[in-house]
Amino acid sequence: MRYGKRFALSLLCITVLHGIAPFAGFFAPYDYAEQNRNLPYAPPSKIHFRDTQGTFHWRPCICLPKERQGTFGVYDEDRGNCFPVHFLVRGTRYRVLGVFQSTIHLFGVSSPGKIFVLGSDGYGRDGLSRLLYGTCLSLFSGSLATALTLGLGVLLGTIAGYFGGWWDAIIMRLVELFLALPWLYLLLGIRAFLPLHIDPSQAFLLLIAVIGVVGWARPARIIRGIALSERERGYVLAARMFGASDAYVMRRHIAPSTYGVLLTQAALLAPQYIAAEVTLSFLGLGVTEPVPTWGNMLSVLQQYDVLVSYWWMWAPAGALILVGTMYWRLASAQQTAEVTAH
Amino acid sequence: MKYMAHRVLQSFFLLVGVSILSFLFVELSPGDYFDEMRLTPQISRETVSRLRTQHGLDQSLPVRYALWLGSVARGEFGFSFAYNTPVSHLLWPRARNTLILTMTATLLAWLIALPLGVLSADESSKWVDYVISLSTGALSAIPDLLFALGLLLLAVSTRLLPVGGMTSLGSDDLDMWERTRNLSLHLIGPAVALALASLPTLVRHTRAAMLEALNAPYIRAARAHGIPRRRLLLRHALPVALNPLISLFGLSVGSLLSASLLTEVIFSWPGLGPLLLEAILGRDIYVVIGAVIFASVLLVFGSLLCDVLLVVADPRIRAGRAA
Amino acid sequence: MSETQCHLLEVRALSKKRTQGRWWQRQFEVRALDSVDLTLDVGCTLALVGQSGAGKTTLAMCLVGLEHPDEGDILFDGKSVLESGEKKRMRTTQDIQLIFQDSAGALSPRMSAVQVVEEPLLIRGEGTRQERHERAIRAMQQVGISPAWKNRRPHELSGGQRQRLAIARALITAPRLLILDEALAGLDLSIQGQIVNLLMELQIEQHLSYLYITHNHELASRIANEVVILHEGRVVERFSPLTGVAEPLSGERAPGRSELGDLRLGAHSGA
Repeated sequence: MRYGKRFALSLLCITVLHGIAPFAGFFAPYDYAEQNRNLPYAPPSKIHFRDTQGTFHWRPCICLPKERQGTFGVYDEDRGNCFPVHFLVRGTRYRVLGVFQSTIHLFGVSSPGKIFVLGSDGYGRDGLSRLLYGTCLSLFSGSLATALTLGLGVLLGTIAGYFGGWWDAIIMRLVELFLALPWLYLLLGIRAFLPLHIDPSQAFLLLIAVIGVVGWARPARIIRGIALSERERGYVLAARMFGASDAYVMRRHIAPSTYGVLLTQAALLAPQYIAAEVTLSFLGLGVTEPVPTWGNMLSVLQQYDVLVSYWWMWAPAGALILVGTMYWRLASAQQTAEVTAH
Repeated sequence: MKYMAHRVLQSFFLLVGVSILSFLFVELSPGDYFDEMRLTPQISRETVSRLRTQHGLDQSLPVRYALWLGSVARGEFGFSFAYNTPVSHLLWPRARNTLILTMTATLLAWLIALPLGVLSADESSKWVDYVISLSTGALSAIPDLLFALGLLLLAVSTRLLPVGGMTSLGSDDLDMWERTRNLSLHLIGPAVALALASLPTLVRHTRAAMLEALNAPYIRAARAHGIPRRRLLLRHALPVALNPLISLFGLSVGSLLSASLLTEVIFSWPGLGPLLLEAILGRDIYVVIGAVIFASVLLVFGSLLCDVLLVVADPRIRAGRAA
Repeated sequence: MSETQCHLLEVRALSKKRTQGRWWQRQFEVRALDSVDLTLDVGCTLALVGQSGAGKTTLAMCLVGLEHPDEGDILFDGKSVLESGEKKRMRTTQDIQLIFQDSAGALSPRMSAVQVVEEPLLIRGEGTRQERHERAIRAMQQVGISPAWKNRRPHELSGGQRQRLAIARALITAPRLLILDEALAGLDLSIQGQIVNLLMELQIEQHLSYLYITHNHELASRIANEVVILHEGRVVERFSPLTGVAEPLSGERAPGRSELGDLRLGAHSGA
């Protein structure tokens, strides 16, 4: 199958995103748990290139928000309290992938200034920082869960298709069973019977495991079909004639035929699994506070006043749509590649 | 007919399997409903263990399953600790509400998707096809959650629609006509959200099915005969395209129910979704099992219905069976 | 043929049934093989002729161990092939090889020509990478494929070249019996002639025996010592073509063919 430029471009975008995401700490000006109780639901800071006298500077500056007298939660800009934005500053310590430590951030302002590019939430935590950390978590939970599902699907599908007989019967009945349940109900059902209160790092792994396990059925069925047809091919029979073991045949001849399907499935499943993580966290059953994911950041929108008044809290939705679009482009590029190959 | 009997039997076994699977997960559960109770100092330990024994929670797994099966046979589906009532009493009205929502949404989605798909497949205007494909592509990148939230925002900010729940306060006092109107208003938000979420896939498949139907030899022959385009599309190609679409419907019932769960929670529509969530957070295990099974029943019914529709709609299948 | 001489291959009363139909439907029983007897000596060619579905391929599959017969026995070099342990089966499979009819299907589209030929060595773990490569090149040369084409994929080769490749692959493990399951079907007549000539040469060089499966009576009579006709799983006729090769199959190499004809006539010791 010849993949065109569109496919390569989409794949590149997604790979780059995955590569940058772990460096959320660098791009984020603040730690995701850093609270500013005096600035709840502050709007995004306006970037000014002109100071109060009207002169133009190359270096932008931002001004602190000040609560308007007599109101609660309505802010005005305090033009008297402005801070220039510096780049490559030293700030709070963060870790990349839990291994490397650094204190250098892409940009920031000296205290007591606060730069809220995407506003702040109910606890005064910076929206952009939380979004960036959340991106890393949500993105990777989708990809890792996809890898788990496809791994399970390939394993069980190949066994069912290649060996046939009882293996096939049992595995196919299991497939039908899993497909007889709406996936979110199954997901919640499994989640229900696991501990409710778990700390965030465990929650992340648990989430990946649960989402990955729920979806193995459909890919497994497809892979089984492939294994079934590949098993009868002349070159497979020939290899068996030469005394090849089952492991060799599966590795050398059957597995390569599945790669195309696996790629298609990955492009389709990854965005669904990101949405699954978002859904679970949104419902409070996924990653919990204070660790941000797109899901639990969006769950605050269930309160009507937040829903209507604070538009910057919708930022994770924008990120979700953006990533969804990237995956959609990848999937449609694959479809066009497949169509032209026939 | 034999085939249908086979399918019904298969579905039954499937549901039995689902119930066993759900019960198996109970085994993994580290705690139960009464653990929360234990934390309350006012309730003595003896009371808690007495309640436990009363509900049979101290028995082994197979015994519990047998007890539960007996409860199913009586039509109760177990007991809800939180509501202090048999589970089925909770589930039936909720299942009905979920059904109302999903059927309305499906109808709405198909009403929009079919014409769009047909228009899209119509070769007379490539521009229309492009616009429709692009917009449905854009829609497909948006997850169900955001449709629900977006529509909620719309409802709350414009105050056009009543928000939350299925009925407004005091609606029981209204007459039939008013009550229906009230229900419909509450229904619009979640139904539209669900319909929008299902729309992209439907349009894409309708378009593909129509295109495939239009490429058939007999269509080209009909065109050569000079049959006008509209008649060609609607009377000749569309019925053929319905076959794969009905199959699609059967396959998409699962994701429809899942999307409905989320939408119900966001709009506070009293369906199976919010009940399940509440039961999970409260560790009301029999409600959880019951809700999951009811959802599964809806799915299985949906695909059975789909098979029946296929037999009805496609004369080839009917002929094949008779032979 | 003398009876006291040990045959290379002996098939005794081989039977195999196939059932069709799901477990809740009425079952149809089909006799794929019904008490088939065959013998084949070293250096000889036996042709198995019959219509499609007569059981020829089933027999071939049983001989190489890809399928199991229900009754009967298969003796190779006097020893039974069936019911052997794992190791014994491997040795025997080395001695009997099968060439399929569909040359394109028999070669993996993902492997290059040299990889296809060296695969049996890879599976058996014989030799280093270099050694395997060299043996594969030599095998290719033996069947008339230039080493310059070693990196070509099967779909880039013609049907005749693919069959040569399949033959090279089969021969790389030095088998003693080669089964050709309609290996010439679908090839041009002239190409068929070339392949037949190649096979005849190899037969002499490497003391091979052939079991040739075909539905082409004429071809069978021309190249086989003995022809066995199979119909609905049973042997219905057996004969040895008394006449040698009357005319060559293709214009080329005519002198070589008549030599072969003499050799084969010499192998016969009577009808």
